Amino acid sequence: MCNSTMLKQEFLKKWIKGLHIYNNLNKCVTISDRKKAIKLSADVAIASTRKAATHWSKALMDDVVSRDGNNIILVQQILGGGQNAEKNNSGLITCSNRILRRSHNNIMACRKARRRVVPRCVKSSSIARKLVKNKTRVLKSLVPGGQKMDGHRLIKETLDYIVSLRVQVDVMRRLACAAERFHP
Amino acid sequence: MSSRRSRSRQSSGASRISDDQIADLVSRLQQLIPEIRNRRSDKVSASKVLQETCNYIRSLHREVDDLSDRLSELLESTDSDSAQAAIIRSLLM
Repeated sequence: MCNSTMLKQEFLKKWIKGLHIYNNLNKCVTISDRKKAIKLSADVAIASTRKAATHWSKALMDDVVSRDGNNIILVQQILGGGQNAEKNNSGLITCSNRILRRSHNNIMACRKARRRVVPRCVKSSSIARKLVKNKTRVLKSLVPGGQKMDGHRLIKETLDYIVSLRVQVDVMRRLACAAERFHP
Repeated sequence: MSSRRSRSRQSSGASRISDDQIADLVSRLQQLIPEIRNRRSDKVSASKVLQETCNYIRSLHREVDDLSDRLSELLESTDSDSAQAAIIRSLLM
């Protein structure tokens, strides 16, 4: 069981660092610019706490990079820094280069096939099976990278993803509440 | 029934989730999701678990989005010269 507090601290540090980096790279003038900066940095930060050990975090990074090529700098710096920077640096930088290549491949692949066709199982005709199948499809669309996962991996990734989302929401909520206290 | 179970163990590429995996998911999700925590595990159907999971993830996504909105608005208004506003601004920017 991972230490929740340490995870929150790691997320907060990386989020703030990411915001600094993003603001150096992009001009933030309007509220929607700021919102984009905040949300993007938060997503990169929470994904990086997994250090590419999960599929959803890799898929999320891919998505960030594919949205805007400049984001690769942000991703590399957030992945490259951290507590074990000296030990894992080369591994993480290699990982981020892989992300860049993979995101390019993903963009090409997406153009070809939006959704992978799941072969219909003729024997599983019961309603219960159909329901599970449909819900599974929805779940795959919610978890980053879910379309490419089989049932077992999808469940593991879902659990990890939910835990990480809760960390992200908790820290963001606390910061928002603290900020509002100064400006009621 | 048993042949289906053994088949799903072998086929790693299948997108179908087996009953064993659902049971595993239920026990872990029970700790995470309030809607399921209040029910007994043997009465929760697989599709219900998946439904609640999807609902929960969607609500978390919405919260992140709402919180991003709130924070971006707070920055907009922190143009006063109070010390706390400056701290928050430097913290977030």
